[in-house]
Amino acid sequence: MDKECPQVSAGEILATCSAACPVHTDTREYVQRISRGDYEGALDILLEVNPFPSVCGRICHHPCESECRRKTIDTAVSLRMLKRFVVENTREYRVSRQKKPAERKQGAVAIVGSGPSGLTAARDLALMGYRVSVYEKDTKLGGMLAHAIPRYRLPADALMEDIQDILATGIEVRTGCEVGRDITFQELRKDHDAVLIAVGLAESHSLPIPGTESSGVFLGIPFLWDIANGLRPELGGRTLVVGGGNVAIDIARAAKRLGTSKVYMACLEKREEMPAWQWEIDEAQEEGIEILNSWGPKAILAENGNVSGIEFRRCTRVFDEEHRFSPLYDDSETTQVDVDSVILAIGQKACLDCVSESPVTVDRGRLQCDRSSMATSERGVFACGEVMTGPGSAIQAVATGHDAARVIAHFLQTGETLKIAPRAVQTIGDLPAETAARAKRFERVEVSLTDPAVRIGDFSPIEPGFSEMEALKESRRCLACATGAYLESEAVCAGCLTCVRVCPFGVAKVDRTAVMPAQQCQTCGLCAAECPAAGIALSRFATNKMREKLREMLAGTVAEKISRPFVVSYCCLNETTSREFLREQTEAEIRETGILRVMVPCVGRLSALDLVSPFELGADKLAVLACKEEGCFYTGAEGLLRRRIARAKKFLDEIGVGQESLQLFNTEGSAEQSWPRIWAQLRSAAPDDEVIAAQAAAGGDSR
Amino acid sequence: MIIADPKPFGQVKEYIKDYKRVLVVGCGTCVTVCLSGGEAEVQLLASGLRIALGKNGKNPVILEGTVQRQCDEEFVVPVLDRVRDERIDAVVTLACGVGVNFLADRLGSVPVFPGVDTTFYGASAGQGLWAELCAGCGNCITAYTGGICPIARCSKHLLNGPCGGSEKGRCEVAPNSIDCVWQLIYDRLKKLGRLSELQNLLPAKDWRTASDGGVRRSVREYLQEPK
Repeated sequence: MDKECPQVSAGEILATCSAACPVHTDTREYVQRISRGDYEGALDILLEVNPFPSVCGRICHHPCESECRRKTIDTAVSLRMLKRFVVENTREYRVSRQKKPAERKQGAVAIVGSGPSGLTAARDLALMGYRVSVYEKDTKLGGMLAHAIPRYRLPADALMEDIQDILATGIEVRTGCEVGRDITFQELRKDHDAVLIAVGLAESHSLPIPGTESSGVFLGIPFLWDIANGLRPELGGRTLVVGGGNVAIDIARAAKRLGTSKVYMACLEKREEMPAWQWEIDEAQEEGIEILNSWGPKAILAENGNVSGIEFRRCTRVFDEEHRFSPLYDDSETTQVDVDSVILAIGQKACLDCVSESPVTVDRGRLQCDRSSMATSERGVFACGEVMTGPGSAIQAVATGHDAARVIAHFLQTGETLKIAPRAVQTIGDLPAETAARAKRFERVEVSLTDPAVRIGDFSPIEPGFSEMEALKESRRCLACATGAYLESEAVCAGCLTCVRVCPFGVAKVDRTAVMPAQQCQTCGLCAAECPAAGIALSRFATNKMREKLREMLAGTVAEKISRPFVVSYCCLNETTSREFLREQTEAEIRETGILRVMVPCVGRLSALDLVSPFELGADKLAVLACKEEGCFYTGAEGLLRRRIARAKKFLDEIGVGQESLQLFNTEGSAEQSWPRIWAQLRSAAPDDEVIAAQAAAGGDSR
Repeated sequence: MIIADPKPFGQVKEYIKDYKRVLVVGCGTCVTVCLSGGEAEVQLLASGLRIALGKNGKNPVILEGTVQRQCDEEFVVPVLDRVRDERIDAVVTLACGVGVNFLADRLGSVPVFPGVDTTFYGASAGQGLWAELCAGCGNCITAYTGGICPIARCSKHLLNGPCGGSEKGRCEVAPNSIDCVWQLIYDRLKKLGRLSELQNLLPAKDWRTASDGGVRRSVREYLQEPK
């Protein structure tokens, strides 16, 4: 698949967003594809490494955003929402591109558990040609995704989109089949050449305190499991959830949706130590959930066997100096909360009944497994996902699923185990503060969640997806890190310093020859436009090769057959709010409309040659459709473009084309509203007053 | 650095209007730095020539190229090869006058035309601006003038102080853009604590080391092949 810029350079250097993603999604590439209106291409990128883009578009903890370099300028790009937009707008395409079962090769694999890690491994192995059977004890596939994430965060159909795509690879599925009960582990071993244990952490820990046997005490995961399966656990009017992690938050918010009037959360950690994501905590509080920090449960109080309250003692420390869990308490400070139900969400453990009758070693409730080879104590039996790593995110589980498929394929081919060395990921580094200081700020596109008073009424999804306009706008905030300018050949550089002088971000340097460090370059293209040696190339939108591109675009179109006047129109693609002008034009369309659209991410990067060469190729007029006034992403680009256009106009007069043939316009409103009117007027004989006014406002008319 | 300005387009067009295959060739050194004759200018001029001559019903083949320097045999050989191999019947060079001559001496029956006007030896005086700083007179006197050259930077090339046209530190020839160099020399020597040296009169200049002495050559015998 042709990418603007290879994700992994020769030196294995990733953009920070990609490096942060456990599966190293080529984030920059998919966001840039969205920006160009290529949503299908963006989905291809997502699916390269992640079979769960729909799930991740809803619930991923988006480490990519945490590492987004735009944070140094203003705020991170809303990458999770962009991912969700892609998935929600490419459903038909996704079905059409479904991977068909690969040609079968020798080797059968049984996978126990159908969560994100198990299904990822299943898909990878099926695509390699192995016979894969997934054993799921429940009736639904998806593991924790299907059963422990409330539907207001992850609707069932969003999960099903991913699962159907995965199953299309020809995986055999046995739901309602519990290994160890419905089929023995030995039978599994007999029928398969390798077994992968991907059972996750599906059981909740209880607490060693008095009162946990009382009626009204629930364990977290079974509680969520019931809700996901349409049951409504009976809670009293006041509920307290013990725990400070994301599962605890899910449980508290689910309890609220069951109609409980008062929901508390209590945890050992101070507010800033809570393991739950900040945004989850904020949303829970918006929903009226009260969080009691730094309290350790001492006893659950009961009257007549029913919960009546819970007693706490002050927790003075959760972790020791080496960050190990080692809580300390102050028994002199206690408190009591009167509640009718208590839900324990203090951690999870694996249900390993599937291997209880097997030689696979389990030590103190933990499956023994070598992290690098993913091998258990038994040859040919492997493990992945949370049962191996401990609690983690869905995307981390996916990453281990990929690794598991690799080690199992290696085992099936060679009979040997494969140790996967941790990949040494290098990133392009932080955006230097001095570069960020020169960049313009653009507000992140945010969506409004359903009003808290409304959303606690049921389990309906609370977050709307991006509209197309919002997605395009947000995608253009991406800095497209490390896809900027570079010197094509040192031999042509005269070290003239023009790049240094025009760079708005102070990035370009001359060290014998020009250097534009990828870590800093903001990809505006101004240096390439002004380089007197025409020696600076651009990784994305190679406007330094515009003349060749125009020739290519017109290759199939006989110039004489194009409707006259023939207008070549350079357009700032950042102004489009739909795909109307982003899709490729057909030859017939160019012929009939007499308009050739050339989309560039900023018209400021067009060189003087680009403003003249269209006339060499038969254009009668050249329109430069810039962004809204003062709307350019790139500091200083507008002024430089105006001066370049003034120069080109003078040259066009000298060569007999006439300066009026080149006109600069600012987009008014959106591209879809503004551009057709400009084109219509350029192609009509009489000039339109409004267009002339717009042109004058753009400073492009020297009359 | 040698500074040059692009020739008016009409002049260049007129030079080549009757030729069928024209090579526009740029120079990658001084004229690239002063934005008058590098590859970008080659491409722009060539495109303009194709358009303008096409409008006149002539469609000559205009080819493009740039070499690192047009004042060295080794760099120029590829140009000569192209002229021969691609049957070029005229060359427009965007190098300084040196490049024009250098090519003319080697191009045999193929004519070469200048695409730029060579103006002076100068330096960058800001973005998009160059100023004359040396006249190449062959006998540098800046040791006595605080490093500032009155030959290049005085409109009258005066050697011993300003003329009556110096007013408020500016030259009467163009008060808005030309400093009086003798004001600059005075200020500089004062800063250096050498103001008294201005009392030593400079003798009349021997212009034979400049172009008045005939065509000049510069020799490094230690590198020359023994005769």
